[in-house]
Amino acid sequence: MRYGFVIDQNRCIGCHACTVACKEEHNIAVGVNRTWVKYVEKGTYPDTRRHFAVLRCNHCDDAPCIEICPTVALFRRRDGIVDFDHERCIGCQSCMQACPYDALYIDPDRNTAAKCNFDASRVERGYKPACEVVCPTEAILSGDLDDPGSAISRRIALEKVSVRKPEKGTRPKLFYVGVDGDLLQPTMMAPQSGHFWAEKQPGEDLYALQNHTERSIPGVAREVYDVPHATPWGKKIASYLWTKSIAAGMPLLSALFLTLGFEEDTIVLSFLSPLVSLSFLAATVLLLVLDLKQPARCLYLLTKPNPRSWLVLGSYALMSFGVLATVWLWQGVATGGVSPWIVWLTALFAILSAGYSAFLFAQARGRDFWQSPLLFWHLLVQAIVAGAAMLILTGSVFGLSLGLFYSLGNALIVALLLSLAMICGELCVKHGSEEVARAADLLIKGALRRQFWLFAIGVGVVAPLALLLWPGASIAFYVIASVLALTGLWVYEHLWIKAGQAVPLS
Amino acid sequence: MNETRPPLHPVAQQLDSASIALASYPPVEKWDDWIEYDTARWPRKVEKHYQIVPTICFNCEAACGLIGLVDRETLRVRRFDGNPEHPGSRGRNCAKGPATLNQIHDPERIRYPLRRTGKRGEGKWQRVSWDEVLDDLAARVRKALEENRRNEIMYHVGRPGHELLYHQRILHAWGIDGHNSHTNVCSAGARAGYAFWSGIDRPSPDHANARFILLLSSHLESGHYFNPHAQRIIEGKQQGAKICVIDTRLSNTASKADYWLSSWPGSEAAILLAICNILLQEGRFDRDFVRKWVNWEEYLREEHADQPQTFQSFVSILKQIYGRYTPEFAAKEAGVDPQVLVEVAHEVARAGPAFSTHVWRNAAAGNLGGWQVARGLQFLSVLVGAVGTPGGTAPNAANKYIPAPPLMPPPAEVWNEMLLPREYPLAFFEMSFLLPHFIKEGRGKLAMYFTRVYNPVWTNPDGMSWIEMLTDESKVERHACLTPTWSETAWFADYVLPMGHASERHDLMSQETQAARWIGFRQPILRVALEKQGKRFNTTYEAHEAAGMGQIWEEDEFWIELSWRVDPDGALGIRKYFESPYAPGQKMTVDDYYRWIFENSVPGLPEAAAKQGVTPLEYMRKYGAYLIEDSVYHVHETRIKSRDLSDAITDPVSQIVSKDGVVLGVEVDGIACVGFPTPSRKLEFYSKTLKDWRWPEYAIPGYIKSHVHGENIDINAGERLLLPTFRLPTLIHTRSGNAKWLYEITHTNPIWINPNDAQILDVKTGDLLKVHTEIGYFVDKIWVTEGIKPGVVACSHHLGRWRLQEDSGGERWSTALVDLKNLGDGKWMMRQIHGIKPFKSDDPDSERIFWQDGGVHQNLTFPVQPDFISGQHCWHQKVRVTKAGPEDKYGDVFVDTNKSHQVYKRWLSKTRPAPGPNNLRRPLWLPRSYKPAPEAYYIKDR
Repeated sequence: MRYGFVIDQNRCIGCHACTVACKEEHNIAVGVNRTWVKYVEKGTYPDTRRHFAVLRCNHCDDAPCIEICPTVALFRRRDGIVDFDHERCIGCQSCMQACPYDALYIDPDRNTAAKCNFDASRVERGYKPACEVVCPTEAILSGDLDDPGSAISRRIALEKVSVRKPEKGTRPKLFYVGVDGDLLQPTMMAPQSGHFWAEKQPGEDLYALQNHTERSIPGVAREVYDVPHATPWGKKIASYLWTKSIAAGMPLLSALFLTLGFEEDTIVLSFLSPLVSLSFLAATVLLLVLDLKQPARCLYLLTKPNPRSWLVLGSYALMSFGVLATVWLWQGVATGGVSPWIVWLTALFAILSAGYSAFLFAQARGRDFWQSPLLFWHLLVQAIVAGAAMLILTGSVFGLSLGLFYSLGNALIVALLLSLAMICGELCVKHGSEEVARAADLLIKGALRRQFWLFAIGVGVVAPLALLLWPGASIAFYVIASVLALTGLWVYEHLWIKAGQAVPLS
Repeated sequence: MNETRPPLHPVAQQLDSASIALASYPPVEKWDDWIEYDTARWPRKVEKHYQIVPTICFNCEAACGLIGLVDRETLRVRRFDGNPEHPGSRGRNCAKGPATLNQIHDPERIRYPLRRTGKRGEGKWQRVSWDEVLDDLAARVRKALEENRRNEIMYHVGRPGHELLYHQRILHAWGIDGHNSHTNVCSAGARAGYAFWSGIDRPSPDHANARFILLLSSHLESGHYFNPHAQRIIEGKQQGAKICVIDTRLSNTASKADYWLSSWPGSEAAILLAICNILLQEGRFDRDFVRKWVNWEEYLREEHADQPQTFQSFVSILKQIYGRYTPEFAAKEAGVDPQVLVEVAHEVARAGPAFSTHVWRNAAAGNLGGWQVARGLQFLSVLVGAVGTPGGTAPNAANKYIPAPPLMPPPAEVWNEMLLPREYPLAFFEMSFLLPHFIKEGRGKLAMYFTRVYNPVWTNPDGMSWIEMLTDESKVERHACLTPTWSETAWFADYVLPMGHASERHDLMSQETQAARWIGFRQPILRVALEKQGKRFNTTYEAHEAAGMGQIWEEDEFWIELSWRVDPDGALGIRKYFESPYAPGQKMTVDDYYRWIFENSVPGLPEAAAKQGVTPLEYMRKYGAYLIEDSVYHVHETRIKSRDLSDAITDPVSQIVSKDGVVLGVEVDGIACVGFPTPSRKLEFYSKTLKDWRWPEYAIPGYIKSHVHGENIDINAGERLLLPTFRLPTLIHTRSGNAKWLYEITHTNPIWINPNDAQILDVKTGDLLKVHTEIGYFVDKIWVTEGIKPGVVACSHHLGRWRLQEDSGGERWSTALVDLKNLGDGKWMMRQIHGIKPFKSDDPDSERIFWQDGGVHQNLTFPVQPDFISGQHCWHQKVRVTKAGPEDKYGDVFVDTNKSHQVYKRWLSKTRPAPGPNNLRRPLWLPRSYKPAPEAYYIKDR
């Protein structure tokens, strides 16, 4: 048994009855929706028409939300319905990034994720979902896709149907009949500055703000009604990437330099480095917990884990890294020397800690911009930038050999150059997807360009490089360069998180 | 492609999913104890028990069926679903059906009767008991009746629901002509056009069986009857019908059409007559139907006595008269492609009798002469013989059934000229929106003014004149406002009386949603649920109080109780009509009332009930609806019963069959049929009535150039046509401001403007535009769209609600706080203090309001523009548009009521007042709500 929907847009009259019946069935708060109706207009007067699409969860057979959910709050039932359990949800919002269809939201009554659950509570008693029952024109049809005799199976077999974003490989079980294709692909739409009977929330759509046009291009769909959409991740997640880079980068470089000698710098390399690293690791964990909508449930990561979620695997990596760094620190304090085993094991977990986010962001399948194959390496490079910069700063306070200063400076130069190459690789290479191109455009020439060029590149890469490469650069130059590199890195993370979510999913 | 990986979630392991096909509705036999899993606890399976009670939606007029799920434990209404037993809505609803839940649980709701303590409109209120209210109002009514000031008692209803015969019963028992309505700001134009043809003022299209559907309306998103009609239009479309929509703006309905004709407002009659002309010239019309059922003989007799009195000659005359409505002429008037008119004409011809049509407001309500639009549309239906056919359009009487109540009082011999003054002998109906001007002119005053679900201050044109009238306590001595919600008008009442929403009162409904006849029973579901638990109540407000809803009451009981107190001893002859038919001398209960109706007035219901072993009243309480007759067609061809035909005489000229002076019908090809309720008993292409009442130039369908015809609008001088009348699928006038789930979808009404006009005016989406009418201006933002005709700007009429006090007088979900200043000498200025803001209440959603904009109130700035025949307010406005200046703010409204009174006088001067033939005020045959005694129709003072 495999439940799915057919939504017949030939029949749909855009009346929003499904939206409201769903709200009533689940007592859904104002401002969020499990199902909604989007409107576009096409053409020029008088050859113009308005088109509708009912959008919601696709109950994917390969649902990215289930995969990423760290606590199995989202799950696939045996009848194919993708359901959720609000009591297990920790509110990490990663499902909102994983879903390519914008189907999830945070329920403000419970501070947990929610979405269309096919009205499983009705289905289990033998009744159809509320949206299907209310629909005046019988545009919504639910049924068993595995039963060749079911009405839904016959319709899918006999009519021309389409699904949203099949290229995401999610195997959606919501099939549209007679839909205007542009409604299923948000990047096909010309952004508008306003809606025709509702306010468009200011700042909601960065791309639209930048690119909206009063001109009507025949054949290009103009979005005229949509519901508000949330941007789940913000500064805390950017900061988490940043603190994590510092936490991972310091022992990584320390391991390198400890192996290379630099015995006079043991205080920094064996003691201060893990100490500062651990404090940034603590900040990382704190930021992650604070970003949860249900911070009190953070331990569910350990007690109700989904082993396929990189949020879980990542937290294991961070914990192991933390334990090893603590051992390193303890050895450093207690014996003055650290076992190379510990050093290299810590370094290994530092790499994992820095890089696992690449796999986490890869599980955020809704966000193409974050799917870069360079991301793992970029995160490592960022860790080296951050680690080198922070070691320089630590050294400038507690004293460091000139040799290590220069070596760290050289590491920073190399890492910054590599980082620049990575940024180029991510933003400037021709993009395989329109979503990536749009997000990149936002940074390079769009609404975020000033912050990007001035801070992320200017302050974060060019200025530190200039200072470090300055003939006769003094330690002061190194210190300033490090502060600038760290500042720029934070801005870059912030913009990268923002741009990744700026392209509408629906 | 089966289950990928085993579910990790513990709950997902233990599924007892039904492998049978899913059902849509709870079966009726389980309604008394319906079990569902609590969605709030899901995926844990926690059972909840509900009492399901059927009722009727009260958002638009369609009267769709609802079932309310009442939590048996908490007595809170959990949900409203569609009633599967309802023949019109068939268990389905629009967004406004489920939104009823918001309306009954609105934290802003008025839950107890309020009496003003300060000056009227000052906003100071005090809670009072229903007894105090009833005693005060009854005393005033009684005094007016005793002093024979019968015309000083007026009941003014917006959305009826509690209506027609049932309220006529009350006012006629009081012996007054006191029913006023909203019809003239709504459907008077269409009604007049339909009534002149068939004597019945509403159409009933059978869309489900049509081959071609022509809509001058937006029935896929609004109107009578949105949900039931949308179901059947789409059903027809799925079966291959094509759809043509004539509408200036791109409605959602137009978007689903095969042909969208974006007409210049007011040109629609020209379009329709051009299509008629194509059918006539090409001979593609139903000759037999026209010959049999159109009053062409009367037409030839009266107007072309010199011509051969044959059908052939009639057709020649038709071809000649309508020959001037060429597709090119109409296309030029309308600004559409003439070729499309030809294509549409051919579609109409192909559809033949399966051609369904509908106009209700739209062009008929917007334009001077709008009633000729409905007449032109009906002409088209008549030509192809699509009247009362499967897939055609019937007069609504065929598809509506109003069961007679007990003890119907005879009408009194009284005519209230504040309702139907002599200037408007043919109006459909009461000249409601002119009331402030009548009072200003000294035509009368009101001792007791009841308004019910009526918000003229906001809805009617020229609302400031309403405020001036309502605040003059010497002209409106007592104003009681019966309302389920706050409204701008309730603010200017002496009593605000909280009445039930859809699920909180009794009512009997029947609407022409399809080719059938049904009744729907609205009932107070909480009372019914409580009574099923064995509790008993004298009044519905006591039941509501027991369920924690406050003292919300219902009209049926209110009017019985009030009438009882008006005439406690029976001296006025009123009391007897409110005594129980089952317990003589005792006050009638609502149970008595509906029991009598269901036992005596609904054909087939007693038998259907008996089959189930229940009483008719129990049957209706159980199912909430009853289908009296399905597939009702060709009603006009119904033969007069042979029993009636004995001793009947047939007029040799008119073929009218009558007996003892009572007209029974008409003989057509030798067969005596009931025909249509017109003077000729046929479809009146030729309206002798219009001729007799001094409008000979409009005796046949024609084209009247609208007051907003292109000739009257100087585009280069910045003038535009403002189309201010369209509805949105999610809202309903001023009754849905309490529905948060509707307002979060829909909350602004920007001015639609074509990109060409935007370029000329140098404005873009979001800019402010100042729209100047004849009496003032308003300031609204712009939405540039390809969906509107160049030269026309449009603005939805739903939004722009306001309140005068921060925490009272309007639902904060939907109203802006405004400052309203009387600048003296009739000048008024309104400015928004703030838009919609989150607020604290017992509903956490009120703090989650994310919209700030509630729209702009445009109707305040419209002068009254009554059509000289139908009395319809002609909504479209000639306006001048300018960019807003630095002093202008979003939402500003300025009005000069002295100017509006001048405009009133100018329009009034175009009328041709009564008396008509025989010193009549109004043709005796013409429909009129609450018809007084025939003697009252004659003017006695001349």
